[in-house]
Amino acid sequence: MIELEDVRAVYARTIALDHVDLSIGDGITGLYGPNGSGKSTLLRVIAGLHRPARGHVRFDGAPRRMSDESLRRRIGYAGHEAGLYARLSVEENLSLFAALWGASRDRVPVVLEQVGLRDRARSRVDELSAGLKKRASVARTLVCEPDILLLDEPFATLDDESADLLTAAIKSWRAPGRCAVIATHGAKRLKAFADAAVVLRRGLVASDRRYDSDEVLR
Amino acid sequence: MNASVARATPPKELGFVAKTMLLARKDLLVEARGKETLPAMLAFSFAVVLMLAFTLPADSSIRAEIDIGPGVVPLHQVLAGFLWVTVLFAGLIGFARGVEVERAEGALDPLVLAPLDRSGLFASKAISNLLSIVVLEIFLIPLFGLLFGVNLQRDWFVLWVVIILVDIGFVTVGTLFSALAAQTRSRELMLPILALPVLVPIFIAATELTSDLFAGADMGTVATRGWFAILVASDVVFAVVGALAFEFVVER
Repeated sequence: MIELEDVRAVYARTIALDHVDLSIGDGITGLYGPNGSGKSTLLRVIAGLHRPARGHVRFDGAPRRMSDESLRRRIGYAGHEAGLYARLSVEENLSLFAALWGASRDRVPVVLEQVGLRDRARSRVDELSAGLKKRASVARTLVCEPDILLLDEPFATLDDESADLLTAAIKSWRAPGRCAVIATHGAKRLKAFADAAVVLRRGLVASDRRYDSDEVLR
Repeated sequence: MNASVARATPPKELGFVAKTMLLARKDLLVEARGKETLPAMLAFSFAVVLMLAFTLPADSSIRAEIDIGPGVVPLHQVLAGFLWVTVLFAGLIGFARGVEVERAEGALDPLVLAPLDRSGLFASKAISNLLSIVVLEIFLIPLFGLLFGVNLQRDWFVLWVVIILVDIGFVTVGTLFSALAAQTRSRELMLPILALPVLVPIFIAATELTSDLFAGADMGTVATRGWFAILVASDVVFAVVGALAFEFVVER
């Protein structure tokens, strides 16, 4: 579904990713690696938020063109920051993004329930704790019903109960034809429900495998 | 309503204009709650006008002349210049803050990914910036009238035509360059450095036309001046360039 071919990404003089060749299929792919290994950059490159210095990204075999609105509609991305408006309530934020993505606003209470934020729907984002913001950020992506879900450290700052809720929400999003790439440096939780794993080290792909076939691709 | 029912009845997707207006409304709501931008612009403008009022002789009126050293100039020329310098710098304060709203909590990322033509993002930001500038001028123009005896009688309408033409050029340039400056480390410094050279012709035209109006010119006189044509042409060029270039500015 998503193919990366010889991708290199740089920040000023730092090479964040190099020689990245990956094929990411349906299901949930865990993206692992230590701090500074290039996980966040890889997600941003796939999302189209960082232009690679070299190489290509393809979706369903077609070169990615970020001017393509129908492609952008398929992508849901939650990065390190919440990606929400601090002065708006959680509900207002989700309604705004649902409307922009053409998703039903009826999805808002459903997703809020899934991530355990129903009772905080009217709270302003700047009143939320870091953990609640993280849940609201993932809710913001899920409400848009993307086919491609890109989550950067979604379980960071979450307690076990909140992480369980988020895990359940991601599992209920999973469907044939959909793929998620979830970056984390704590592999334990994600490994329990991921279909594939990619490990990055110093910007290079150290390993790439799918669990269903147990095939080690690299 | 459960998830499966919601998914079974997808809504009719909003069009370009509706999404653009939705984002502009969002900006206004954020400002209404945060009150971070407009009060700063108004406070700056008030301070500048007050300083000017104390600097000029107590009996200054729009018909007076002042000696500035090399020669004597009509006060209406000086006031027109001060009016637009105040709007210019207050506006730049507002544009810089407007981009910060998107940067805070990383809201720019999902906005860049939104399935909306980038010209829509540009237009929404420009609309909210335009409204801020118009509110500023609604406060500023009567203040000038009150303090400096500006009485245009029936020509207030003509002044607002000029003001709106200036504002369109100003916000299109300001919106584009504030988004560009936001990509740099020293963004607050970069905005005036990038925008001011481009804004110079717009504000010279603004000053010339406003000066004419303060001196008693009517719509017919103003509309036939070359500066008026420059203003209209600038609006068209910068609106088109802004809408087309915004895509390259927001994609990193």
